[in-house]
Amino acid sequence: MELDFSPVIAYAPTLLSGVGVTSLIALVVALFSVLGGLLVAVISVYTNKVVSWPIRFLIWLFMTTPLLLQLYFLYFGLGEWILIPALMVGVLGLGFHYMAYNADIFIATIRSVSAGQYEASRSLGFGHLRTLFYIIVPQAFIRSVPQIGNNLILMVKDTSVLSAIGVAELVYASQYAISVSFRPFEFFIVIAIVYYLLNLIMEFGQARFERMTADRR
Amino acid sequence: MDVNLMVEVTPLLIKAAWITIDISIRAIILGFGVACVLVFLRSLQIKPLQWFSRGYVSVIRGTPYFVQLLLVFYGGPTIGLTMDPFTCGVMVGAFNIGAYMSEAIRGALESVESGQNEASRSLGFGRLQTLTYVVLPQAAGLMIRSVGVLAIVLVKNSSLVSIISVVELTYQAQRLIGSTYKPFEIFTLTAVMYICIVYAVMGIVELAYRRATRYTTLVKRVQ
Repeated sequence: MELDFSPVIAYAPTLLSGVGVTSLIALVVALFSVLGGLLVAVISVYTNKVVSWPIRFLIWLFMTTPLLLQLYFLYFGLGEWILIPALMVGVLGLGFHYMAYNADIFIATIRSVSAGQYEASRSLGFGHLRTLFYIIVPQAFIRSVPQIGNNLILMVKDTSVLSAIGVAELVYASQYAISVSFRPFEFFIVIAIVYYLLNLIMEFGQARFERMTADRR
Repeated sequence: MDVNLMVEVTPLLIKAAWITIDISIRAIILGFGVACVLVFLRSLQIKPLQWFSRGYVSVIRGTPYFVQLLLVFYGGPTIGLTMDPFTCGVMVGAFNIGAYMSEAIRGALESVESGQNEASRSLGFGRLQTLTYVVLPQAAGLMIRSVGVLAIVLVKNSSLVSIISVVELTYQAQRLIGSTYKPFEIFTLTAVMYICIVYAVMGIVELAYRRATRYTTLVKRVQ
């Protein structure tokens, strides 16, 4: 057993661009899944069953099937009718997957905001939508910060799965380098370290954000 | 929708589903063992062992399961660790979920009031007796629930094993699509099978939960 990290150094620019793509995907998916999840949750809580049941069904479907299968379904399954670029499928697939998880949390926290808040706001002259936007949603959002943070940390790790459909993120970017240099162990160790660092950053950010919002929870 | 095709491929997919179940059961049992060892090491008053346990959990939880799988399968031979795909899937799944389970088990054990432990020790129970007769029965409900959630995560993660060419549900689905060009039908069937497996796990967890908490819920009702 002798380890040789020189090919890793030689392909450092490729890996760095992979890190860039991974971070960019993570950022877009984070925004998409949190904002989308919030919207989906509000719609599903405050509308009638005709609208909310299909939404619940979709949330349930995304939560009970594997991410990889969902990605394959979007990429190959819908490929029968429309061809979407892999990057789009990756962002949308991962986004919808975590949107379902986030919406599930937001639904619970929206319900946990007491009905008195809604009534008080309405009696002070706020309309229905204004009450939701200014009173209910902010409180629910602050309450769900810890769990949403956990989901986002899981999401950053799951970006690696996108390499299975050919999105040029960190793992996929190194595939070529591995096939040329025959040094899979060294490359994957370095990739694992990069993900670990990303994870540490996420955990640090989560702890900071939780402390910032702790007194308002 | 091509119903005939769906009927035709169902037996093949069920066969592959058994591989998914097989891999998951082995990984869960082995992973539970790994978790128990980690919790045990963490509970010892020996600093290096505690550091090892904490470091292991941190590293495993801090890196993607997918990268761990690729590292062991493709990188393993470099350091003399050659495994067939199935064994690799079981081992990586077990050592991955073990880290998560150790945190779940530790959380459940710590949820039992420390007074219970002290009272039991002062009544003359040894450490092991305290654990088995006093702490575990009270922690069992929470432990079963959180380990059950992780078991479901493991079942869903097992689809990633298809990347290293284990012929489980996802891999079989892809292979069938390659020969039939009907992705929509086959992926729908595959999804239904995953949902069935997940619900079976949920059912087993619920039964185990009821059995484990039959006395504690009784006590609560009497109180």
